[in-house]
Amino acid sequence: MGDRPVMPRTAPSATSVRAASVDIYAPQWRNFIFVAPFLFFFTTLLLVPLLWGMWLSFHKADTFSSGNFVGLGNYIRLFHDKEFLQSVWNTFYFVLLTVPTLALIGLFLALCLNRRTRTAAVLRTLFFSSSVLSVTIVTLIWRIVFIPNVGLLSTIYGWFGSTAPAFISDPSLAMIGIAIATVWWCIGLPMMLFLSALQQIPQDIYEAAALDNANRWQTLRSITLPSIKRTFILVVIVQIVLQFQLFGQAWLMTRGGPNNLTKPIVLYIYDTAFRRWDLGMGAAASEILFILILIAAMAQYLVTRNKADRT
Amino acid sequence: MKMKKILFAAVSAGVTMLASPSLAGTELTVQRFFGACDADFGTNTDVAKAVGECGIITSLINKFNADNPDVHVNVSTVEWPGYDQLTAQFASGDAPDIVTIHESALSDYQSKGLLMPLDDLLKSVGVTPDAFTDAARNGATKDGKIYGLPIDSWTMLYHINMDLFKQAGLVNADGTPILPKSPEELLAQAEQFKQKTGKPYFVQNLANETALYTRNLYTYLFQQNSDFFADPKHVKLNTPEAKKVVEMYKAIFDKGYTTKDLDYGGAINAFLAGEGGVQLNGTWVVGDNNAQSETKGAALNKGGYAVYPYPQLFAGAHAQYADGHTWAVSQKDRTPEQTAAIGKFLKFFADNDFDWSRTGHLPAYKAIITSAAFRALPHRNTIAAVADLGRPLPSAVKRQFAIQDIVGEEMSAAITGQKDVDAALADMESRVNELLANI
Repeated sequence: MGDRPVMPRTAPSATSVRAASVDIYAPQWRNFIFVAPFLFFFTTLLLVPLLWGMWLSFHKADTFSSGNFVGLGNYIRLFHDKEFLQSVWNTFYFVLLTVPTLALIGLFLALCLNRRTRTAAVLRTLFFSSSVLSVTIVTLIWRIVFIPNVGLLSTIYGWFGSTAPAFISDPSLAMIGIAIATVWWCIGLPMMLFLSALQQIPQDIYEAAALDNANRWQTLRSITLPSIKRTFILVVIVQIVLQFQLFGQAWLMTRGGPNNLTKPIVLYIYDTAFRRWDLGMGAAASEILFILILIAAMAQYLVTRNKADRT
Repeated sequence: MKMKKILFAAVSAGVTMLASPSLAGTELTVQRFFGACDADFGTNTDVAKAVGECGIITSLINKFNADNPDVHVNVSTVEWPGYDQLTAQFASGDAPDIVTIHESALSDYQSKGLLMPLDDLLKSVGVTPDAFTDAARNGATKDGKIYGLPIDSWTMLYHINMDLFKQAGLVNADGTPILPKSPEELLAQAEQFKQKTGKPYFVQNLANETALYTRNLYTYLFQQNSDFFADPKHVKLNTPEAKKVVEMYKAIFDKGYTTKDLDYGGAINAFLAGEGGVQLNGTWVVGDNNAQSETKGAALNKGGYAVYPYPQLFAGAHAQYADGHTWAVSQKDRTPEQTAAIGKFLKFFADNDFDWSRTGHLPAYKAIITSAAFRALPHRNTIAAVADLGRPLPSAVKRQFAIQDIVGEEMSAAITGQKDVDAALADMESRVNELLANI
């Protein structure tokens, strides 16, 4: 690395050659040391495992040895495996159940609680408080609600002499039960995002609307909702990416049952790689999940880019 | 003078630091399932006072620590069966020294060279395999060597609420329960029970469960002489024998002869609250249930508690599915002191197997199973027969826990009506064979 070029001390004469100015944006090797720590961890903790996972997905590997190269064998097995296809469907079904609900309830709560009263502040804290709980606590709470005979739901139904729906074991209800627990757990973030978006809408627009005699519905439809459209898209995409990674709730509430109807892709990967020791096929399933999340992340990127173009 | 004091203090500190490792003794890491109960037994060293699997094993380890000041055992408790965690620990080179492993899971780890053969170590502390019962020795032996110290043999049992059986008129003149001798009799008695008591005959944990379904299937396949694992790498489950078993349990489910939405804990609570006649559960709850039957006001105290092996419903072999627990030792470099400490721990459990058998499990030692003290324990006269009836899967069958999940899932789907019985059996067979073909 050479010394910095010295700037000429005297004003250049008309005949002298103009000294080259320093380009402060020119690449310099020493800048590398500033990003080296990040690059080190990014490479070792993210890039290497990612590439290693891809490599494993082409091998017949178990937990204690990496076996023979099988090409696309694991992927072919995967797409012939009813359980895997079921888990892909389960994941989409779960995303379908939770994401619109989270977006709509989050928006509804934000609209209701977007005011400067003490009650609204308390309720905002209350609705957000579930988000700080760990998945273990959340599922424990909801198991206590759903558990047959002695659970909260059973007790309430018992007062009216009827039987509570079996949210943990009924094939048609189990995923809905997990979705209910998830919405209760995750509602805080969408609500907060909507609240911050609502608070950024200039107050004078509402005042102008009031002068034009706009009613509440017209104000909501023509001012509020268009103003928070981008936040709405952001909430939906963030939640899609998050809910695709469902694992804890399904594992702790139903273990993926009954008969794999609540087994999401991540649980399938866990089962295959760590319980059946079929690491190669587990890695292949991880790559499929990676592609699915990548598509969602790319969608987020495109939406954000369009937003930047317009403003 | 001051300098002298400082020097003296420094030397004393140095000596203390050097001496502390020998004072602490040899550290061993032990990993086990059987639950956590530190609130009740965390400091208890009087094993005779302990009840149940968790209480007895916690107290036994406390007593070992108290009796052996030169060894300190650090226990980590894992959720049953703990193999996901153990596999990850082995893969990352961080396995515990001693770990509970089922006999049915030993070969998975042994075949990968992860477990230490124990023959020489056990011999050095005076424990020889000829002291084990046949079932325990066969279960712990892989490729001619002992890979786990057997501590019991276990199986599933009919835990019976005698009060409800009396109400149902299902009691013999001598006070013993009337149990079925064929699938038809089972359904008839279950109907009679339901009519007379208004409650289901069975208390089963069917919610998100796999193990119970699978053990039931294996037992009644054995009783029909179905050699479904004749080839340890290829199972035959899409058979008329398996169909008979699944259809029997489906009829029990469809006709309301069983509880339906309970998980494991819920089923135990329901049985203890007197919500059904027969709970299908293992040897491990005999001690707890018996303690309940002696507690005034408890449902089992009303008319008594009885426990029996699964009834013989088919004309084939007198058999039922069984397995056993062992203490296995991970393969790693150790000092002679550490190896000797492990030997001490294993010898302690071999010597105290009687206390462990108070859980309800059958002892792994001939001397204990034939002892008057064991025979005098409650209900052992009715369940001791499982020592001869118990039959595991062939030990060459690998991934038995993963197979259990597949079989249980498909059986559950068939019994609860999510799938046609034939389709479930076909899927069960193909999924297990897919798994075995890719080991």
